[in-house]
Amino acid sequence: MNLNFVLDTLHTTGHFGHVISTEESLVLHNSLLILQNENHFRNVFFWGKIFGAEKDYYIAYGYTRDALHGRIYYYSSNCVRWGLLPQPTKNGLLLTPICSTKFQGDPALVIDVLIEKDETLICGKRKQPQIRKLKEEDRLASTVHLITNESAVIPRGSLFRRPDGVIVENLSFEGLTTLDAREISSFLHLRPPTQKFNTNLLIRDDYNYAMDFLDPLDIDIPEGCWMIQITTAEDLVILKSIYWPGMIFFHYLRSPRHGFVYFGHGKKCMDLPFMLSPFIL
Amino acid sequence: MISNYELPHEDDQGTVVEVPNYEKEFNNAKMFLQMASTVTGDNLYDHLTEVLNKILAERPENVIDFFEEYSRKVKERRFRPLTDHLEDIYVPPGRYDLSNKLMPVLRPLPPGEPSTVDPEDLEMADMSKNNMMELNYYLEQCGIGLPRIEMCYIMLSIRKLIHTEPISSIRFWGKIFGTLKNYIVLETELKEEEYMKRNETYNQEAENPPETTTEEVVMKGEGGLAEALNELAKVQELPGEGGQSKYPRPLPPEPVILYEEPPEPPPEPSGVGVNKKVYYVCREIGQPWIQLPDLKPKHVRASRQIYKSFTGNLEEPILTYPEFTGNEMEYLRAQIARISAGTQISPLGYYTFGGEGAGEGEEEEEDEEAAGGETKTEYRVNPKYEAPPLKDLLDGSMSFWVHHTQYILPQGRTTWWNPNPMPELGEGMGEELGEGEEPEAPRGGPEPETGPPLLTPLSEDAAVEAVPAWSVRSSSNIIDDFAIVVVRSNLWPGAYCFSTQGKLFQNVYLGYGHKYMEHNFSPLPLPPIQQEYPIGPEIMEVTDPTGAEEEQWRIDHLPKPKPMPPAEEAPHEEAEEEEEEDEDE
Repeated sequence: MNLNFVLDTLHTTGHFGHVISTEESLVLHNSLLILQNENHFRNVFFWGKIFGAEKDYYIAYGYTRDALHGRIYYYSSNCVRWGLLPQPTKNGLLLTPICSTKFQGDPALVIDVLIEKDETLICGKRKQPQIRKLKEEDRLASTVHLITNESAVIPRGSLFRRPDGVIVENLSFEGLTTLDAREISSFLHLRPPTQKFNTNLLIRDDYNYAMDFLDPLDIDIPEGCWMIQITTAEDLVILKSIYWPGMIFFHYLRSPRHGFVYFGHGKKCMDLPFMLSPFIL
Repeated sequence: MISNYELPHEDDQGTVVEVPNYEKEFNNAKMFLQMASTVTGDNLYDHLTEVLNKILAERPENVIDFFEEYSRKVKERRFRPLTDHLEDIYVPPGRYDLSNKLMPVLRPLPPGEPSTVDPEDLEMADMSKNNMMELNYYLEQCGIGLPRIEMCYIMLSIRKLIHTEPISSIRFWGKIFGTLKNYIVLETELKEEEYMKRNETYNQEAENPPETTTEEVVMKGEGGLAEALNELAKVQELPGEGGQSKYPRPLPPEPVILYEEPPEPPPEPSGVGVNKKVYYVCREIGQPWIQLPDLKPKHVRASRQIYKSFTGNLEEPILTYPEFTGNEMEYLRAQIARISAGTQISPLGYYTFGGEGAGEGEEEEEDEEAAGGETKTEYRVNPKYEAPPLKDLLDGSMSFWVHHTQYILPQGRTTWWNPNPMPELGEGMGEELGEGEEPEAPRGGPEPETGPPLLTPLSEDAAVEAVPAWSVRSSSNIIDDFAIVVVRSNLWPGAYCFSTQGKLFQNVYLGYGHKYMEHNFSPLPLPPIQQEYPIGPEIMEVTDPTGAEEEQWRIDHLPKPKPMPPAEEAPHEEAEEEEEEDEDE
């Protein structure tokens, strides 16, 4: 979520019930500007909040040149002092999905993660259950990485790839129309594309080299893992991921304003197949 | 050639064409740019003019990076059909619908015909607690909230609702998010007369069924499964023995269904227990409020075993295993009841159990209550309530917060219903309504289920696998004087309670309506296969004998003395018969 939205979240993320509280927004708005200035970021964003049992984590990111590949994440537990979020480690990415405990709020905490003998998420054979250690800071980094990769969203056309390959925000983006907004393929994953460039291009009839370089949302399975809601006033479209309850994306139709933010426990909901209605033929 | 020749002429000296002829080159270039495309008929000159015009008018930053975007947009704009056949049709703006829906609520209420009834006798629900704008202000401090227009609409439509429905008290409960639409939920208490009217019909309905079921239970319960199976075995054996001819064999009798549905506990009457409150839902701004049906115990039990997202359509069938009888309306009602029971909390001392309340501290009263062992269901606002200090409310042990909604027993009711009442006690409804009977467990009957009594501190809540049930925060780290205490449920993500340092507190739920699960959801395993026939050699599953074993068996069963070949035939037949008999068994 762009820094400008932080001060008035009631009308955007309020549709989802969670907002940035008045005091938080004031502190965030100012401390993030200072963060931007210190790091010479071109733009700085509030990423979201991960609830811990004792304390909550606030996450922010900014970029200097490339809006997609050059993102640098910061975290804080009081909105004032921001610390650099480390790159997700291999160990962290492996263990995070099987952590079942809640975040505590202490980045230095080391937790034991039990790998069952027949754990399917981690390949390789084990003779007996294994216990591995994981620092909460690493877990946080991996969680943020996973959430961003799987559920960060932008509307099609809001990012622009220049001929030199650098990805910038599209200044001439005018927003989606109401008709486009009902279509899941008008929204793109904010992550380095996982499909070949021509696959993503050929999905659309009206493809554009500068815009259709990201994966669209309709490649996610199963169908229905995204909720699209257009508000009654038809001025705002809201996307929610069922996989990551707490992730909310909003976009003011016919305007360039859009953003995503996460308010949640940092736990992926793997029960999606049970939650959707089976298709009735 | 000719021009070459003419060049040296004196009189043409003045009009000689200079080699860098800017004008001509300009014209050439312009002509080239103005060349119309053979495909579209456009030309670059006009296009560039338009693009540059647009850029100069808008003056965007770093335009060079997006030049092609601008160019494309201008082109796109040109392709609008000139003859718009829908020109005369006015398309209303998207907000038009909403405005139409909002206007009726935004008008002041009609004055209403002057009635002779005293305004106090009208018993209109108290609106003073429903200042949603104020509530939203506090919620926003806590990091939750709904858009202002929605809150305003809720407030106005509550005002309308209490004029049309027999409501004695009303409260904003929260919002449940669905995949297509969301539910805004109001929690109300109806007037006494309305409850009585409902319970009259309820009594008529309920009078007959429970009696029959209980009788059946007594009969079947004594019988026991084993006995019935033995009977079945006897019946089955008879025709098998008496059959004279082996082919065709008599078929075994059709299996009888021995499974008896466990008796269904009757729903609690309106105004009692889980049905104490009546809920109204609305799918979106401008839609009417719909009353949810009363809760049945089976719906609570089923909803505990399933994990299903809401769609936003009340009529949607819930297709799950184990079966949920009913559609989303019942499921929503069950989830609301569970969430309410789990998460409605208040600061210690705000509510008190009846009593005189004179001179007695809350602590003493509670001890007394615990000692009595009797569950009380009535509580009222303590007039002498004074808010505990901020430090206490923020205490992580949560002993200054209490539950004020009754615990729902595994049975799906707040009071335990005995499925096998003693003959002398069992008279349908009487036993269910009287709570005095509950503690004395009937001998031989099942153990009564008990839950924590009302107004139990949250510190008693069990932590689910190292996840504490509640997290508490202060809304401000900077200034304590006006800080609000926010309590967040970890078991029901989305359930919040806030309390100011004064007397104001409120519970609110904004979430998906799902309970937190430590590990992933796994549906109930299928029940064991039912026993149709008694276990016997006929249906026993055995491994097939191998060829060698068969041969061995044949050799073993050969008659031992085989002195003479002519006598061989007869014993062989016997052996065959033996075999067949063995099979028959």
